[in-house]
Amino acid sequence: MSSTRVRTLVEAIEDAAASTKTGYRFIEEGSQTEPFFTHGGVERASARYGGALQAMGARKGDRVALILPDNADFVFAFLGAIRAGIIPVPIYPPTGLGKLAGYLENTLHIVAKSGAKFLLTSAEVKRMLGTIQAQAPELQKVVAVEGVRSSREELHPAKVTLDDTAFLQFTSGSTSRPKGVVLTHRNLAANVRAIMEQGIGIRDGVDAGVSWLPLYHDMGLIGFVIAPLYHLNTITFLPPLLFLKRPARWLEAVSRYRGSISFGPNFAYALCVKRIKDSEVQDLDLSSWRVAGCGAEPIRAENLQAFADKFAKIGFDQRAFISCYGMAESTLAISFSKLGAGVTTDAVDGDALWSEGRAVPIDPASPRAAPIVQCGAAFEGHEIHVFAPDDETSETPLGEREVGEIRLRGPSVTAGYFNETERTQESFAGGWLRTGDLGYLAGGNVHICGRSKEVIIVNGRNYYPQDLEWEAGKVEGVRKGNVVAFGTLKPHNDRERVVITFETVVTDEAAVQALKGEVRRVVQQALGLTVDDVVPLAPGLLPKTSSGKLQRSKTRELYETGTLLGRTAPRDADGVEAAKALARSQLGYFRHALLGGKKTEE
Amino acid sequence: MKWTRETLRADLVALFGHHAQEDIVVTEQSHLVADLGIDSLGVMEVIADIEDKFELSIPDEALREVETIADVATAIESKLAAQGRLLG
Repeated sequence: MSSTRVRTLVEAIEDAAASTKTGYRFIEEGSQTEPFFTHGGVERASARYGGALQAMGARKGDRVALILPDNADFVFAFLGAIRAGIIPVPIYPPTGLGKLAGYLENTLHIVAKSGAKFLLTSAEVKRMLGTIQAQAPELQKVVAVEGVRSSREELHPAKVTLDDTAFLQFTSGSTSRPKGVVLTHRNLAANVRAIMEQGIGIRDGVDAGVSWLPLYHDMGLIGFVIAPLYHLNTITFLPPLLFLKRPARWLEAVSRYRGSISFGPNFAYALCVKRIKDSEVQDLDLSSWRVAGCGAEPIRAENLQAFADKFAKIGFDQRAFISCYGMAESTLAISFSKLGAGVTTDAVDGDALWSEGRAVPIDPASPRAAPIVQCGAAFEGHEIHVFAPDDETSETPLGEREVGEIRLRGPSVTAGYFNETERTQESFAGGWLRTGDLGYLAGGNVHICGRSKEVIIVNGRNYYPQDLEWEAGKVEGVRKGNVVAFGTLKPHNDRERVVITFETVVTDEAAVQALKGEVRRVVQQALGLTVDDVVPLAPGLLPKTSSGKLQRSKTRELYETGTLLGRTAPRDADGVEAAKALARSQLGYFRHALLGGKKTEE
Repeated sequence: MKWTRETLRADLVALFGHHAQEDIVVTEQSHLVADLGIDSLGVMEVIADIEDKFELSIPDEALREVETIADVATAIESKLAAQGRLLG
């Protein structure tokens, strides 16, 4: 492939400017025009946005928060900041539905944590942000992007090196404690190379991408804004909300613009199966789509199979699927399954997997078989190994097909979180990044079985149980500090079910019903996700460790086995079994995540 | 097609009824997320249905401050009125 020299993103933008045929196309809802910017046009537009940021007083190393609902604004402001050496901090725009208070709180935390001096947003969102400036001490200006669009300020290019910070990815951590992953230009270049050259065999100037992915998320931003600049690929962007509203628009764009590369989380493929009518897509042709990536949340082979079955008649080739494993701390990608092979699953003995933590191959037709999605091998120059979760030094990697925590090393891995020395240290063990994911290696290929972190993922978005518990704890009648939230996967559904359990002294049947309704209402309103089940318990019934910490995994296990409600024994009895139960329940969790479909449909 | 404020609200309540969690009584005052349990993905589906039924387009900005069915009705009313399709 062409790119032999390691380049900063700044160099990539400047080099791409010579290309007159390739660039970005922005589909807008409710507009017949689909503005196309050549890579030369992208270079010029980003210079104007970057120049405007400098004119506001932003200097190299300053952080600027970007809350830009419009894709074109976002791309130009992001790239313009990069060229000025200013560090962009992408933040998602408000999505509405009355969770504005929670949105403002989260945004404020990110702005404060990043130490952003400037916040660039739309006039409309600026109004909604209200007095945010007064609450973030370092924030000097909140600027509406409308005035920047026609800016004539000249960019004064900054000298940017590979080891300079390119931007901060705030994607992990609970609402009150967001963490900003620091990514350097060297991280970006390494990951882009891994994805484009090794992962998808990119054809420079030839492959064309289509993306509806949000640009404040790593898959959309790095995969479809940054990487294509290094390889001169034309990308067609759709607004994320347009895809959610009319999923057929995604496939239409692939067909019309002969897209060869497009990615989405598992839920996106499931959404297409559920929502798209045959009549909407009968005239489309998806035969150009050679790489259909799936990542960002647990992959369910049956969802992808259903997509392939439904759209085969309009040219979709199921061999286009690649299973992707990644996380923001590894820039974007960790490993991809082999190009052209489609979704591959490894049939292992479910009983041995859950009881002994070993992935023993078994006849796929066996009732004990658990199909584990294979996500390919480590990229060149990167290492993936599996360790016992309590191995603090990473000196003793586990063997072939032994289940443990997946850890990484290599040039795509972040140096850590912005201004978070302690939490950065906690994330590494002996120089290896702890992913928090459970899995095993077989023939060098990564197989993800579940995650040890307790994040709840709904429709590709992460929710932290602490946030749900905090909201539920505000309801009168709920014993504060005695609330447990968790996610559980049900077979017939393509998303996690969200469950909240809490202790209460309320016993009157009608009062308990009212309390359940109020908890559901408060949490749904604050976080904008649907709570599927609310379980009130008598005091003392939630499992806790001997030191009094709530055990989410254990609670989930009890819930899944149907024994949570039947519990009458006080929690003291659990103490001895705690460690064993924790390990078991983590495995039990991914048993549900991966096996769920089989187990209950039979 | 044309609507009055009353028929518009009745149609909306019926339409949201199809998307709400089971056993939930839908009224004009229902909060989409808190009462109906419709998440952000579900809302987009409802919006698509509304656009089809009322033959109009609802931009993302119009949704940012929408909380209840009545809010949705207000947003649609102004659209219909602008097109001369709101009676009374």
